[in-house]
Amino acid sequence: MILSSIRDVVFGYGDEPVIDRLSLDLEAGQFIGITGPNGAAKTTLLKLMLGLLKPWSGTVTLNREITGGGKLTIGYVPQQVASFNAGFPSKVIELVRSGCYSGLGLFRRFTKEQEALVESSLRQVEMWEYRNRRIGELSGGQKQRICIARALAQQPQVLVLDEPVTGMDAASRTGFYELMRHYVSRHGRTVIMVTHGLEETSSYLDTVITLERKEQEGWTCLVTNSCNAHFGQEA
Amino acid sequence: MLGYEFMQRAFWAGGLIGLIGPLLGVYLMLRRQVLMADTLSHVSLAGVALGSVLGWNPALSGFAVAIAGGLIIEQLRRSYRTYSELPVAIIMTSGLALAVVLMSLKQNLTKSFSSYLFGSIVAVSDTQLKLIAVVAAAGLLYFIILRRPLYSLTFDEETAAISGVRTGWLSFSFAVLTGMTVAAAMPVVGVLLVSALIVLPASIALRIASGFTAAIMISVSVGLTGVFSGLTASYYINTPPGGTIALILLVFLLIAIAVQKLIRLRSRSQYSSQANEEKGSHNIC
Repeated sequence: MILSSIRDVVFGYGDEPVIDRLSLDLEAGQFIGITGPNGAAKTTLLKLMLGLLKPWSGTVTLNREITGGGKLTIGYVPQQVASFNAGFPSKVIELVRSGCYSGLGLFRRFTKEQEALVESSLRQVEMWEYRNRRIGELSGGQKQRICIARALAQQPQVLVLDEPVTGMDAASRTGFYELMRHYVSRHGRTVIMVTHGLEETSSYLDTVITLERKEQEGWTCLVTNSCNAHFGQEA
Repeated sequence: MLGYEFMQRAFWAGGLIGLIGPLLGVYLMLRRQVLMADTLSHVSLAGVALGSVLGWNPALSGFAVAIAGGLIIEQLRRSYRTYSELPVAIIMTSGLALAVVLMSLKQNLTKSFSSYLFGSIVAVSDTQLKLIAVVAAAGLLYFIILRRPLYSLTFDEETAAISGVRTGWLSFSFAVLTGMTVAAAMPVVGVLLVSALIVLPASIALRIASGFTAAIMISVSVGLTGVFSGLTASYYINTPPGGTIALILLVFLLIAIAVQKLIRLRSRSQYSSQANEEKGSHNIC
């Protein structure tokens, strides 16, 4: 089933487009990697898919039927969370618990199941022992891991990760890819991840979207190992 | 001291603003909008001047203009995402300029304006006290009911929006509440010191708090302690209440910084002596 449909999307930050007539379908229930050189508009593509940016022209649609009529929940781990730099005064456990807020609404109390979910999310990223630390005291890799734990605690149908392994060591990266693979294969969720390290992730991925810059024609995109994708005039 | 009715009103007004101001301050600091309180106090002053010139109730017109200023700043913040401090500077300058020009249009206004500039908490009227009570109650309800979405919004606006928080509505309502609080706090500490009551307790809390809830509790406690001790001190030593409260909060901040540095130095020296002892025992072996 198609999760997201991007049709003839044009988008840019100044006068020139960085994405030019992009069309792309993303399948639900897959582990999808988006790769490409620096400045190839990988994060821009993610933000367009999430509705954080509005295209100049074209359409981006999310298929909400994959939930069977329920609300489509999306967990997002951005490349950089600015608040970390300012010493946001929060304990690790407070931050990860906030992942459950969308399911709780304004007044409902945390259930035992949700507390267990917060604990298992922190254990999955090997950060349970740090639960009472102030988040500003953590290293870059640890900060990234608690952001992932926060997104996991949300139990989203779609998990969107922008370079999630930045700052992680090799063993942690492997553990993380295995966790995401398990999340997709066993729980039927969708994971969309921007990555630079295709050589170490390709064996875990179902689909790879490679974005490339064609200097002569401005910004365009190219897809490899992917189904249902075509770009610009080549379509 | 509390036998006087004007001092009772002053303690009520100060207590209510000492509760809501520092609570708001934590969110303002974390959202990097510290100067918003200062700006809105200047905008509110323009509202007071406008009300005086047009023959309206100056307190209410100042209140309305502060809310409008908050909304305009929020709208401009969205337009100037890269230079988010720019709209604050523009609105502050415009507010002050407008206040000065309006004041010049009506004679005998300058004297009454000094109470707005420096505060006159001991002269808080019943109407002003009621207005402060309504703002404090509305603010407390706002922060209690919306604590979860506000936490998500304050941590990161983009992830909050994707997880379902209506960030636009929440940011605009936050701007309205900021305008209301600043306008209500003006009689307590005055235009020039209103941001001290909002920002100083929060800056102490953010230095020493271990978690988000703790930061809010510390900020409110510091704010209330500063207001009550400032009012008491100003009564006995006959100093302006607004300035006394601000100075006491500043002393609290300096103490917090000094204590924090002492604790750090102590733990570092303990660690160094422990390491030296371990090194010594290795050498003996």
